[in-house]
Amino acid sequence: MRELMRYARNPVVVAVSALLLALPAIFSITGQPFYANMLFLSLMYGVAALAWNLMQGYTGMFSLGHAAFFGVGAYTVMVAMLYYNVSPWIGIWLAGVMAAAVGFLLGFPLLRLRSHWFTLATIAVGEIFKLAFAHWGYVGAARGLQAPIVGPSKALYYMQFTGPFVYVYVALLVLLVEIVVLYRIVNSRTGYYFQTIREDEIVAKTLGIDTFRYRMLSLVISSFFTGLAGALYAVRFHYVDPFAVFDLITISTYISVAGIIGGIYSFIGPLVGAFIFVPAAEYVRVKIVSAFPRVFGLHVVVVGVILLLISLFLPEGVMGYLKRKGYIKTG
Amino acid sequence: MVAAVDLLASTVDGILIGSIYALVGVGLALIWGVMEIINFAHGDYMMLGALTAYFLYLAGIDPLVGAVAAFVVVYALGVLTQRAVINRILDAPLLTQIAVTFAILLIIRYGVEAAFGPYTRRIASWYANVYYHVGPLTIPLPKLIAFIVSLLVAAGLYIFLFKTDTGIALRATSQNRVVAELMGINVKRMYDLAFGIGVGIAGLAGAILALFYPIFPEMGAFFALIAFIVVVLGGFGSVFGAYLGGILIGVIESVSALFVNPALKDVVAFIIFLLIILVKPTGLFGRGE
Repeated sequence: MRELMRYARNPVVVAVSALLLALPAIFSITGQPFYANMLFLSLMYGVAALAWNLMQGYTGMFSLGHAAFFGVGAYTVMVAMLYYNVSPWIGIWLAGVMAAAVGFLLGFPLLRLRSHWFTLATIAVGEIFKLAFAHWGYVGAARGLQAPIVGPSKALYYMQFTGPFVYVYVALLVLLVEIVVLYRIVNSRTGYYFQTIREDEIVAKTLGIDTFRYRMLSLVISSFFTGLAGALYAVRFHYVDPFAVFDLITISTYISVAGIIGGIYSFIGPLVGAFIFVPAAEYVRVKIVSAFPRVFGLHVVVVGVILLLISLFLPEGVMGYLKRKGYIKTG
Repeated sequence: MVAAVDLLASTVDGILIGSIYALVGVGLALIWGVMEIINFAHGDYMMLGALTAYFLYLAGIDPLVGAVAAFVVVYALGVLTQRAVINRILDAPLLTQIAVTFAILLIIRYGVEAAFGPYTRRIASWYANVYYHVGPLTIPLPKLIAFIVSLLVAAGLYIFLFKTDTGIALRATSQNRVVAELMGINVKRMYDLAFGIGVGIAGLAGAILALFYPIFPEMGAFFALIAFIVVVLGGFGSVFGAYLGGILIGVIESVSALFVNPALKDVVAFIIFLLIILVKPTGLFGRGE
């Protein structure tokens, strides 16, 4: 914690934090919902990517099925609100718990696998969740779930605000909680156990680390925070459907793209990665694809090109590159 | 109770569609076996093959001739990809390898969508609506053609891999890259061949699939996942295991539709996939890790 407080006095960190806090207010006053929305999406993917990287960067497990946790989180908020009248302010945290529970149960079969087998199995899990939710009547099957439309007196309880501005602050709150928790974990004995498992699982076992237990812990924490990211999606868009929140490309792949671009061996890298590719893709999608519907899908090509170039020429990611060049010391 | 004739009809239909799955899977298995690269963009090369056949069909060329052209075009694109991109990541960590083939997937799939629109296209060949009645069975000619072409391609690939010097060199490379190099085999050329032929066969499969299946930019997603199931079932890297795996998945999918809601047949396929990975990751015909 002391080290985290030292970061809190670092001028760059202070400046970036102040900017993040001020920007939604500025966008709100100047009436620029487009940029506020871009900021929200970057934060949402950033929250999920930081969580994903606890598994990838710290524990060495490559998941392409994080949409399962994201989707479960998004649905939990909606189900709690629609069927049990629970405010999304509480629902967001329930979403994390539910996603963590799903991660725990999936861990028993999945953690038997390693390397590409693990990755392939996570893809299958994500797709099974999508198809299962698309046929499950309780959660609205393929139609999905829509938040109730409420009057202004209940808007705060149901978290329904005009435009994206307030949601950016909600996302910032979730991100802050996540950074504090994850930073403490990766710099504790548990975090070092994770990294030992990543480097060599047999060595970890020889040292007396219960590798199944710690891989499970990594998976459960990762799914908890990915569930929070899904919950952010649900509260922001008031609507959840299986093909959006369980998507292999726009959820599972995008989350890992953020991690790879930012750098998986950097704590904050995945968040940086999200802030690089999400604005680029959003800009192309809104400014070019909406103006010329003929080029539908161009924004995903942009993501593909960024991913290809980073993977080929900067495989350690942007933060890894900056560290190697000595521009930054930690992070 | 399911009538015996329904079971028979489903099995036959499963074998016919499974022969397409088999071809897509064979290409993926060849690339994995020789290069130890998992090609996530495999289904999208298949879509490029279908699209090639479609544009040639618009130009008045029979889809069966178009299928041969599709192989050549996708083969060339495959060699290009191999030289420009895949060559650089042969010794990279798993994460980079998967990220790169995923990036190729995004660029091909959504590049086609952006260039040609997200529309569904169909080839209406003269034999599209010809059916044969064999006893109680009804067999559509396009699926029968697909099955025959699939068998021919498999036979051709067998002769290539086992009876020609190049094919033997290719198999030697898949067994041990370093020893193959010591024996004077140009390994880089083998990689060109493996990737080119692997995606080329997928392109050909796409072209013959298009005889009875709609063509759209995201069609590769489903077939890539099926190809992974097929390859895992057949044992990673085992080319002919993948062929049998493809037929088997076709039959399982088709027959299971008699017992469970057909909309959930993909779930059945994925659950089989997970079970195989968990219980016997070397597959039914695999040669081990």
